[in-house]
Amino acid sequence: MSSILEAAFATVVFPGGLFALALGLFLKGMDRKVLARLQRRVGPPIYQPVIDIAKLLTKETLIPTTANELAFRLAPVLGLTGMLVAAALMPVAGVWNGVTGLSDLLVLLYLLPIPAMGLMLAGGASSSPYGSLGYSREMAVMFAYEMPLIASFLAVAVRTGGAAGPMLSLSGIMAYQIHHGALLLDPVMLPAVAALIVFIPGTMGSGLFDIAEAESEILEGPLLEYSGPLLAVFQLMSAVKLVVVLELVVALLCPNPIPGGVPANLVWHVGKCLLLLLVSVTCFRAATGRLRVDQGFAFFLKFTSPLALVSLCLAITLR
Amino acid sequence: MLNLINKLAGRSPWIYRINAGSCNGCDVEMATAALIPRYDVERLGCKYCGSPRHADVVLISGPLTLRVRDKVLRVYDEIPHPKVTVAVGVCPVSGGCFRDGYSVGANIDHYIPLDVIVPGCPPRPQAIIEGVLKAVGVWRARLEEGLCSHS
Repeated sequence: MSSILEAAFATVVFPGGLFALALGLFLKGMDRKVLARLQRRVGPPIYQPVIDIAKLLTKETLIPTTANELAFRLAPVLGLTGMLVAAALMPVAGVWNGVTGLSDLLVLLYLLPIPAMGLMLAGGASSSPYGSLGYSREMAVMFAYEMPLIASFLAVAVRTGGAAGPMLSLSGIMAYQIHHGALLLDPVMLPAVAALIVFIPGTMGSGLFDIAEAESEILEGPLLEYSGPLLAVFQLMSAVKLVVVLELVVALLCPNPIPGGVPANLVWHVGKCLLLLLVSVTCFRAATGRLRVDQGFAFFLKFTSPLALVSLCLAITLR
Repeated sequence: MLNLINKLAGRSPWIYRINAGSCNGCDVEMATAALIPRYDVERLGCKYCGSPRHADVVLISGPLTLRVRDKVLRVYDEIPHPKVTVAVGVCPVSGGCFRDGYSVGANIDHYIPLDVIVPGCPPRPQAIIEGVLKAVGVWRARLEEGLCSHS
């Protein structure tokens, strides 16, 4: 009984559900605010994403007559659900250790592409030519960043070598780092660290990799035909995805807790996510423009994948 | 709760531009007004959107030429309610220097209700921003009306 209650708490309140939604909207707001300050603007208030969602709830939902209505309505819900499940599995160092058996890189590898699948379904179902363009771009970018992601996952897993329990479990990876120091500072892992940090803007579609939802090029691609509450669900999905991706990279590279109990560690965790966001998304997108699809694809194959593979090879030889 | 949502909604006006055969002067001013950091309309919660489906405030420029008339009306229909229109420049209201031209028919307000008019050829960026703010006022009133009629 208590395990069911625990699972329900993890899904609805912390670390999934409400906590993930609140943290995601906060991080999105900080992203916009800091970007504005970098451009010497005042910028929107930090709670602007919340206002945007409230606004979208007052709007009418329009569905194109040629669209497949079921898939059109299902796509955003599918993406958000997938991400909320993933958020419930993310460990928070010093506060929560994740679900035994489920907080696992293999499970996350299957959950992480779900928002991209939602967007592809949305683009396909909306029957708009721009939606289809967004579909194909989303898929191309996804294939490109999956490979360095898998290679860095394996590098981290081999390096930590199943210190406690199964090799791919997040709690084992965290336990290793708490004993041996963060992988962020491990020279063998440096290339994989770089690959993982580039993966964040790649999967969030910001800066160089704003390819699938390029609003000035293909009019926000898959989201083009969405309006009102359904668009709000997509925004929530993107916010929770940001949390999942940042928490995952934090868990892989620097999960070390600080002394001071649960509240201090919670603040520490949010601070780490925020710092990672500012480095890998905000500053990155303030400094760069968009790549073409083929350039974005080649970028991951030429630069990011070899980096992750170098770490993997080093980790295997130095075992 | 609904009241709160309606209050918040006015602080997130997403802007969409329609060029109804404009000479591009007003479009340049609009891009200048809302896109460059100097005037920073994002502090008002504004965002330019590429898709009419995301829009709340529609900025229309140009004297509805015959060639684009049907397309403009179609795009306008694609914008979800509640929506507010802002006419930028003198062309949408009077035809401006294109009035009585062979390619210009009736003015836009014959087809689309114009809520706010920002005259000028082209209007200054400050005037366009003020027009957007006035449009937000109209939008708020419309949201509250909608609330009253629902209850």
